[in-house]
Amino acid sequence: MTPAFAPFLAWRYLLTRRINILGVCGVAFAVWAMLVVDGVFSGFVTDIHEDVRRSSPPLLLTDLPHDTDYEPLRKVLEADRDVIATAPRLRQHGMVMPFSPRDRGRRPAGSEQLEFDHTRNGFALLLGIDPDRERRIVDFGAWLDGGPAAIARYGGIRPRATAPVQDDPERRRRLQVDDEQEWRARRRAGLPAEDDPADHRSIWPGMLLGWPRVFRLDWVQKGDPFEVLVAAFPRHHAGGPLLRPCSERFAFAGWFGTGHRMFDELTALVPIDTLRQMLGESEFDEDYVELVTDVAIRPRDGLSPADLRALQRRLRAAAQAVLSPDCAPCSVLDWRQQNTTLLAAVDQEHSLMQIVLFVVMLVSAFVIYATLHMMVVQKIKDIGIVAAVGGSPRGIGTVFLLTGTIIAVLGTGLGVLAGVLSAMWLNPINEWIYRISGGRLELFPRALFDLQGIPCHLEPSWIVTVSAFAILLAVTVAFVPARRAARMHPVTALSFE
Amino acid sequence: MTAVLQARAITKSYAIGKREIPVLRGVDLDLHAGEKVALLGASGAGKSTLLHLLGLLDRPTAGEVRYDGRPVQDLSVAERALLRHRQVGFVFQFYHLIPELTALQNVLLARMMGTTVFGYWRQRRRARSAGVAMLEQVGLGERLHHRPAELSGGERQRVAIARALLAEPRVLLADEPTGNLDSETAQGVVELMFSIQRERDLAFLLVTHDEQLAARCDRIVRMKDGTIQGSRPGDVQPEDSAQAD
Repeated sequence: MTPAFAPFLAWRYLLTRRINILGVCGVAFAVWAMLVVDGVFSGFVTDIHEDVRRSSPPLLLTDLPHDTDYEPLRKVLEADRDVIATAPRLRQHGMVMPFSPRDRGRRPAGSEQLEFDHTRNGFALLLGIDPDRERRIVDFGAWLDGGPAAIARYGGIRPRATAPVQDDPERRRRLQVDDEQEWRARRRAGLPAEDDPADHRSIWPGMLLGWPRVFRLDWVQKGDPFEVLVAAFPRHHAGGPLLRPCSERFAFAGWFGTGHRMFDELTALVPIDTLRQMLGESEFDEDYVELVTDVAIRPRDGLSPADLRALQRRLRAAAQAVLSPDCAPCSVLDWRQQNTTLLAAVDQEHSLMQIVLFVVMLVSAFVIYATLHMMVVQKIKDIGIVAAVGGSPRGIGTVFLLTGTIIAVLGTGLGVLAGVLSAMWLNPINEWIYRISGGRLELFPRALFDLQGIPCHLEPSWIVTVSAFAILLAVTVAFVPARRAARMHPVTALSFE
Repeated sequence: MTAVLQARAITKSYAIGKREIPVLRGVDLDLHAGEKVALLGASGAGKSTLLHLLGLLDRPTAGEVRYDGRPVQDLSVAERALLRHRQVGFVFQFYHLIPELTALQNVLLARMMGTTVFGYWRQRRRARSAGVAMLEQVGLGERLHHRPAELSGGERQRVAIARALLAEPRVLLADEPTGNLDSETAQGVVELMFSIQRERDLAFLLVTHDEQLAARCDRIVRMKDGTIQGSRPGDVQPEDSAQAD
């Protein structure tokens, strides 16, 4: 049992020795930092996970040979009871260049890349899709809504892009813009066009660009032409592999935003048929295949992780059976596996940051140790007095242990209070700082991370963990000076000068 | 009658490096209830060391300390602390008050030693009343909430006396309690201690250099080089003798 004098003396020492405030502040700061910084980072990580998930199909069949035909794969994949739909995808790197009166004849496609990549207008990951099929795999509507929303967030005043929905399935498949829009674009670009817009029929395939690219091309209007250049090794070349460049003109059909910044910056969505043609696949060839590099797959909802893993194995085996026997193994990846590098990097940063915060906590523990150690040295005579009056060594040690514990509890309480309030008011404070500094200063550069506000996910379990850890650590380090005090010989202590 | 406190063949030596320095070399002493014993001797004679051993602040190298005839050598550190709290009151030359506490809090500290937090909480009003009464008895009823730094030397020593006596010990050990006071104040402190000793029938061991003060005790024990050289009755003053009887 704790002797009565121990908490009494501990409290008196705490109140009368201002240096203990340093210990309380140290713990409070460490707890506050662990809660707020980790809360913001957790929010950031959660948002990134959501964005990445939104930009990725639930499952993706990939690592396919370069001549893979979609149709046989579709049949075997959709035959599985747990598969709802599939969509073909064709990936190809290329160069995208707006064809505008301003740039015409001055800069070749992709030359912006030489300008220290400041606009990212040059290289793009061309993703050939079948819009009707793709719509069944990912939330395509949300992608199209996300573009204007993101641009509006950054002060852009572009009107909402109409989704490239046409009544004619063939035009819809080609992402084509309205006839009149293409006619106007031709006029703006100085390209041949009929006198009467009613006589014009749009022929350019459409292209959807990620919003960051469009945001920087602020003069581009719907229907404006873009030149796209790809280089590929066609399947049909008789004389062996030959790198063949191919360019095609596309109409700017709109913009999208998934929230996954890297995907939005790099990707340009194009009709898969057009991209196939650019890569040398012609529907008129006898051995025409519906070329794909990947197949996006939507599994049935409600599958457990174990079921999903089993499905991945089944689909991989089914696909492998369709492919030629000597080809490399294909893969069926879930959304996490598709973005392993990014997610692992983010998680790694999160872990590193937690280690840094742990070090901050250690520093605060050492502050407690230092203040208590100093207190023991300064209170040696008191230790002798208490012993002379009848205080047991255990009781004397408890005085210092309790002092450390009270410092830790007070510091943790203050830190939790400050942390929770900071988390609640983080965005208003950030807005206020942004406003009074005239937009020059921000706690968290939202634009850098493409965020509407500072995300902060403060889990109650994390608050409890941090609090318990802070108190435990402080009590542990307080134990050392407390033990020293308890072991001090009363006569030595009384005669200490 | 068995003495309250007995020392038998006590030796104490300290190791300095590889050398053993003997401080006490076989000391025998009895202290009875109601008895005032003065311990005289030059500096380094071993008076304070003996006081610490008798007050259970230290352990002898050899020999026995007995309370009510019971040896205390084998008691644990905690048991010795409890026995010290219940049986012994210390008064030191330099008062040894805790500077962060008021006079009343310093005194009440003695009441907090042998009880738990809840035990003290239940008797806190009684303890406070006893503390206030004790300070009033030593003439500090108006200085309850003053800290040691706000008190004179004599007042501090009175607080130390009040603290030593609050737990109602049977033995009072004073190590040159007037050594740091002017003669007038010292006289007042001595009178106070003697009066309380008589009133409570305490066994009182007074370490002093003051022959006149020693002469007022029932017995004078002289120490030299760690041994007791002789013991003789003090020149007990008439009023002291009458009270002692």
